Amino acid sequence: MNWRRYADHPFWQAAALLVAAFVVIVYVVPLLPGSALVPKSVVLQYMATVLVGVLIYVSDNEERWSRFREPIHAALVEPRLRPVRAGLLVAVPALVGLVAYGQVRTTVAAPPNLRSIHPAPPSEITFRGKTITLTGLDNPLRQHAESLPAYTADGKRIYYQNCLPCHGDHLDGQGHYAPGFNPLPANFQDNGTIAQLTESFVFWRVAKGGPGLPREGTPWNSAMPRWEDFLTEREIWSVIVFLYDQTGWKPRTWEKTESGGAK
Amino acid sequence: MGKLGSVAAVAGGIGLVALALAGWTRQPAVQGGASVTGKVKFTGKAPANPVIDMTEEPKCKAKYTAPAREQIVEVNPNGTLADVFVYVKSGLPASYKAPAPTGPVTLDQDGCRYHPHVFGILVGQTLAIKNSDGILHNIKAKGTKNRPFNISQPTTMTSERTFTASEVMVPLECNVHGWMHAWVGVLPHPFFGVSGTDGSYAIRGLPPGTYTIEAWHEKYGTQTATVTVTGSETKTGDFSFAAK
Amino acid sequence: MKADRTALLAAVLLSVYPAIRLSAQDTTAGKNVYVKWCAGCHGETGAGDGPAASTMLPRPRNFTGAVYKVRTTASGQLPTDADLMRAIDDGLPGSAMPAWKGRLSDGERRDVMAYLKTFSSFFADTSQHIAALTFSKEPGGGAGAAALKEGRLFYDSIGCRKCHGDQGHGDGPSAPTLKDDAGFPIYAADLHQSWRFRGGPTAADIYRRLRTGLDGTPMPSFSDLIDQKFLTDEQLWRLAQYVRSLSPAETPEVRDVIHAAQIAGALPAAPDDSAWARLDRYWFPLVGQVIRKPRWFAPAVSGVWVQAVHNGRELALRVSWDDRSQSPDTAWLAFERRVLETMASDDSSPPPSAAEPWPDQLAVQFPRHIPDGMERPYFLMGAATDPVYQWRWTSQPRRAVAGLARGIDQFDALPSAPAAQAVYDHGEWRVVFTRALATPDTANDVQLATGRAIPVAFFAWDGSDGEHGSRMAVSTWYFLALDRPTPASVVVSPLIAMVVTLGLGMLVIVRAQRRGGQGGQGGRGAGRRSGV
Repeated sequence: MNWRRYADHPFWQAAALLVAAFVVIVYVVPLLPGSALVPKSVVLQYMATVLVGVLIYVSDNEERWSRFREPIHAALVEPRLRPVRAGLLVAVPALVGLVAYGQVRTTVAAPPNLRSIHPAPPSEITFRGKTITLTGLDNPLRQHAESLPAYTADGKRIYYQNCLPCHGDHLDGQGHYAPGFNPLPANFQDNGTIAQLTESFVFWRVAKGGPGLPREGTPWNSAMPRWEDFLTEREIWSVIVFLYDQTGWKPRTWEKTESGGAK
Repeated sequence: MGKLGSVAAVAGGIGLVALALAGWTRQPAVQGGASVTGKVKFTGKAPANPVIDMTEEPKCKAKYTAPAREQIVEVNPNGTLADVFVYVKSGLPASYKAPAPTGPVTLDQDGCRYHPHVFGILVGQTLAIKNSDGILHNIKAKGTKNRPFNISQPTTMTSERTFTASEVMVPLECNVHGWMHAWVGVLPHPFFGVSGTDGSYAIRGLPPGTYTIEAWHEKYGTQTATVTVTGSETKTGDFSFAAK
Repeated sequence: MKADRTALLAAVLLSVYPAIRLSAQDTTAGKNVYVKWCAGCHGETGAGDGPAASTMLPRPRNFTGAVYKVRTTASGQLPTDADLMRAIDDGLPGSAMPAWKGRLSDGERRDVMAYLKTFSSFFADTSQHIAALTFSKEPGGGAGAAALKEGRLFYDSIGCRKCHGDQGHGDGPSAPTLKDDAGFPIYAADLHQSWRFRGGPTAADIYRRLRTGLDGTPMPSFSDLIDQKFLTDEQLWRLAQYVRSLSPAETPEVRDVIHAAQIAGALPAAPDDSAWARLDRYWFPLVGQVIRKPRWFAPAVSGVWVQAVHNGRELALRVSWDDRSQSPDTAWLAFERRVLETMASDDSSPPPSAAEPWPDQLAVQFPRHIPDGMERPYFLMGAATDPVYQWRWTSQPRRAVAGLARGIDQFDALPSAPAAQAVYDHGEWRVVFTRALATPDTANDVQLATGRAIPVAFFAWDGSDGEHGSRMAVSTWYFLALDRPTPASVVVSPLIAMVVTLGLGMLVIVRAQRRGGQGGQGGRGAGRRSGV
């Protein structure tokens, strides 16, 4: 009976809407698959949007607007609500003071790490003294379909002997060394890594590793070794064949342009 | 070299060795009366057994007058080799039925060494693992045909276990004291013996037949011989191991 | 006659067929999953010898012997299906085995579990007894002082310290001799890192390991002690609760920034100064150096705890880490040799030199200059063109030096060294570095400014694990911040904001009441409510 009165009242509807929106944004959204924690500034933006919507709703017609104002007004004037008034007078300034203190007190935070995950590759690289043109380059091993199973098996062995500690058994970048590094090792199961890349790009990343990244790729942080120091050209192409085979992704292919060149 | 030391060391736990020996000799009656006996000879220069550093275990150290040594190659004063496990590997008639095992075989941990160091047991027979030291030992069996076990014995106590499958040999070890090793031969029949302090062994109560006899040593490996016995005769089967 | 034969054939088929079909279904599906996801470590034949095996310590499980560490069954017994599923689902923390739940489907994991059992004839042997032990419920009060004291009593009386050490860091006198059943060197568990326990971190997990032992390892079962009334079940629980109490309540969270509070007066320069106990500590995981040759896949130091404090003139930085040996220690030489032999098959490196009495080492790394942007030197000890500033401490000779590292191979000492004091306490190193914030050599020494995020990284070597040079444990870049004391002026603006808000609030109320008194909206609202 009593709750009905509240449910029908625009002021309490508005309050409930705001609380529900907050709960959804902060607690429910991160649970959705593929979602992360919503940053504070974004929460603030969302809440402001919801507040504007709510205000439009309650002021939509005159009657609702005056009903909406009733509890506010009551809290300000009614003698029996004196404790509520006093409480608000203490709580609101305290909250304002706390927020202001949080803004003023500066603590040192880690500087933002803006990093381009797939920086533009060079058009050619020097691999152990040999020049390799990356633009338009396909995995040469794929020209030998009959030997592909052997290359895949080779690639698997090389992966397990070299890549596993970081990129993991499931190729998802969660190997047992992964927690020690930042940025985290690439997740090949994710549709944002090898699934979006040409094999020549992957070859460049494997061959040149972290130190071969351009500045926007934060080369000083990447733990990816420069594999040309460890593996031959064919071994790297074999690993790449294995990565696609094991994850089921297809490499992105070069689009042939009208002039016959690759893009 | 080291023989005197070894003998002295063994003397410390001699009563228990005798007990264990009694365990083997009190074997049940079998269907047959033939015996195979012999000596295990040793040629060449015996390697010195490593001295055990017992500084961490003063209780054990106090049980020795001379520094205790490991028991890997125990050459007797008469030039024979002790701790060789000799057993009937094959040749028993299909109709042969092993007698039910009587009584447990006792393995004692005394002075941070195992007594006996090499021994045999029947499948299903109880192995009583005794801790006479009263300090922490763990005993781990590392068989491959038998399930393993690893028991903690931090006090004077006895634990009992059995083996379910024939296996020569099951290694036993203590991980608190990395030098403690023993070997147990698990067999479905009582036709086995271990060469003692005079280098001799005896396998008694064999039914008539032709047998492959194997001699096993922890360092020098195995040797086999073929013996045919009839009635209640005693045949001699000597083995000889050479230093490597 | 013919009918008889047909009937017989049918009977035989009927009796045999379901069995064949079941096993075929489980194991062919399981085999496909196994070959694709497991064989790389555990080997095609299940012998624990896949291509990745030689880069791992502990090695992957060899399934052919059916000997499993984490079980609910008695010592030596086969694991239950649920035990095997738990290992597959949750993985084995502290090893390379990941949790497969969420990576493989329920069906795939069940199938692969069924397939694992085909590697050993023990599972087909119906005479094998497989039964989970009955575990009692955890008695309450486990975190209380009396319970922990009782647990500690049994820790001493049943000889845990023989392997796990007096303080539980895995540094007991028998620790350097330990081998697993395959003969590989094995570390006694560091009881201060429960998040790395293979069978789980809770007191209940520890109690179960005490009851069952860890088969294939030196860790025995303590169930016989309860059967023979040497210990009560509750006392074993107290021991488990004591062991649990040695680790932090929660798995340490990695935080990016070490905050060094500012204090007045002298800094705690001694590693065991009581001031350290009041300071926040930060955990940084270390992993093997597998980036430059020769690589190292068996790092002994799994992480460092760091604390920092400054007084406006000097910085004191305490780094503590668990290390089973005070290297060089001849008692560990044989262990070191076995580790090197075990890891020698790393194909990319020259064979490790013979076991040598290397010291323990620690490096704390900074850039030479605090960067304005995000760019900084290469985290793995800089480069020839862009060196990093490091403090390097060694256990023998016990001293610290400062210098510039130009990559892993080149370290050039600088004339000024930080002060360093170190203690080795039952399996744990605690080293305090002290240095002036500002130094004369502004070109090479990092100038430690307050209020800035100063990049910092850590490297550790356990000499008795064969670690030296590039064989080490490494971290990535983190940050050190020398906090400024919060000035009193900071509270001024919040106070003003509060007063203004309070004033506005009063104003609103007074105005509303004045209007309400004139019979405004309040009266109308009250009237409508009365009608409800």
